[in-house]
Amino acid sequence: MGAATSLPLRRRSRRPSRGWRLRSFRARARRSSDVARRTLRSPTALVGGVIILLILIMALLAPVLVEPNVPDPYQMPRDWAAIDMPPGTPGHVLGTTPTGGDVLYGIVWGARNSVRLAFIVVTITLTVGVAVGSIAGFLGGRWDDVLMRIVDVVMTVPELILALAVVAVLGPSFENIILSLAVVGWADYARVVRAEIMTARLNEYVEAARVLGDSRWRIFLKDLLPNTLTPIIVLSTIDFGKTVLVGAGLSFIGLAEAGLAEWGNLVSEGSDGVVVGSWWVATFAGAMVFLWAISFNLVGDGLRDALDPKSDHR
Amino acid sequence: MAPVDYALRRLIKLPLLLLAVSLLVFSLSRVGGSPIGIYINHEMTPAEVAEVAERYGLDEPLHRQYLAWLGGVLQGDLGWSGVSVAPVADVLPQKLMASLELSLFAFAIVIVLGVGIGTYAGARQNRLADHISRVISIVGSSLPIFWFAFVLLIVFYLILPIAPIGRSDPDIYNSISHPTGLYTVDALLNLNLLAFRDAISHLLLPAVVLGFEGMATIARVMRSSMVDEFHEDYVDMARAKGVPEAAVVKRHVRRNALVPTVTVIGVAFGLMLQGSVIVELIFQWPGVGRWMADAVLRGDQATMMAFILVAAVIFLLVNLIVDIAYAYLDRRVELGT
Repeated sequence: MGAATSLPLRRRSRRPSRGWRLRSFRARARRSSDVARRTLRSPTALVGGVIILLILIMALLAPVLVEPNVPDPYQMPRDWAAIDMPPGTPGHVLGTTPTGGDVLYGIVWGARNSVRLAFIVVTITLTVGVAVGSIAGFLGGRWDDVLMRIVDVVMTVPELILALAVVAVLGPSFENIILSLAVVGWADYARVVRAEIMTARLNEYVEAARVLGDSRWRIFLKDLLPNTLTPIIVLSTIDFGKTVLVGAGLSFIGLAEAGLAEWGNLVSEGSDGVVVGSWWVATFAGAMVFLWAISFNLVGDGLRDALDPKSDHR
Repeated sequence: MAPVDYALRRLIKLPLLLLAVSLLVFSLSRVGGSPIGIYINHEMTPAEVAEVAERYGLDEPLHRQYLAWLGGVLQGDLGWSGVSVAPVADVLPQKLMASLELSLFAFAIVIVLGVGIGTYAGARQNRLADHISRVISIVGSSLPIFWFAFVLLIVFYLILPIAPIGRSDPDIYNSISHPTGLYTVDALLNLNLLAFRDAISHLLLPAVVLGFEGMATIARVMRSSMVDEFHEDYVDMARAKGVPEAAVVKRHVRRNALVPTVTVIGVAFGLMLQGSVIVELIFQWPGVGRWMADAVLRGDQATMMAFILVAAVIFLLVNLIVDIAYAYLDRRVELGT
């Protein structure tokens, strides 16, 4: 809360001075750099962070690392002279697919697709989930009943299965995989946010703010919503890894466009080869999905330890 | 609320949830347009196509179609499976049994190994075994199931050719009778050891892949609840009485640590349900998961809807059982509505 309030009770000024705002900004920046430092103190989170950074750099520098395919760089280039070549073949360091696609190309440009998928899906699910959870937790009553029943229904079917159905209906494409994950992924956030807000509402400082005459909106923004920050940060970090994992599973089943430079798609293309000895396509592409998912899990765990004062690094 | 009342309340809500799921599934399936594609081919004239549409009621308004479909489902008619070229209800039981066998096997791995690893690691906090268990649980939740399957196939099929693919050797499979549909059980009923060995050797690899993520989840929760329980006073009490450490772990700590672990059994089961689609596809297992994958790729909506409904029923029932079991094990739990 801001400055001490003198009796008789009056509404606090809505606009704090500029200095106050600057101070609060500095405090916040200090706090987040503190959290970052504490997170990276865990060696596993540091390793995860470095891997994520490397993959992001790879995605960013994709056109520099391997020459983009024309006209569509997200489509695998085909070298019909080098089909199913093992790693170490000149010009194809990681080998080629049964249709002459360069595995390295698929991995580098696939990183871009993974970043895009994770970013879009997490942004949408986070926004929708926080909105739904906030409405349900803050307004309560009928809003809570209706919204939580919808959440119940969405959670009745395991995530991948529901997403599978959505893509099947919309038609197989990578865009629709992104869309389907966004459609099914918000329920977790909604539940977490609702629970946090409902617990936070019982705090005395909320009562105090109400007595001081703060508006409901202000109480929500200043006193309730910040409580959801910690679980949301951890959940969305882990989700960055998980969405790519599930998305790659969907494109592995065959729901992305054929020939798209995407990790799950690449595993799918190499899958027939595995039993006859061409292990490299599925192995390298799948390893990228694994690296991506485990890095975000490691950083998520580190964040949880750093943000939660109760956790004692167990 | 007493556990029995709670169970009844949840059971009453079950059909409502299923109805909502059916509505969701049906509306979803119609967003993509008419499901007629799987029933017609390029050589049909428009008149013939119209006749097919009429036969399946696809020219009726949507709410009529939904009611007709729902009425059919309630009478055990799940529609025509274009993928299997047979009624869904005829094919479903056989596929379901194949999946059930795989899941039960995987589930046994999940529980036995998950609880075992969690107990062992929890009793040795911050020692080597504990660190290994933490690696297992973080790897388990990050491992792409399709990739794990291929890595195991490369090792156990290519390098050491010991694991076969599919559900059975057809010659052995056809040589015995199948009263239950569970290959292992049928083999035992036939007193045929060769068939039993065949069944187990086909089951092992896919079951390990299917169960790994759930196992890691259970191990993680079991470990941390073991660690929590060790801080309780009754542990000091037991040690002070001179109870051997092994008995403290086994009889006191593990028993109490199992209670919170029960809650994640539902989660582990959900992971297996969705994993079955990919695992059955890779290991060519003739179950519902692979059926679903085929149906999705070929736009066979009747099969898809049946699969999702079945998955929802199983998932809801498992979660219901888990919640009741939890309340039964931990009497301090207040059961809400």
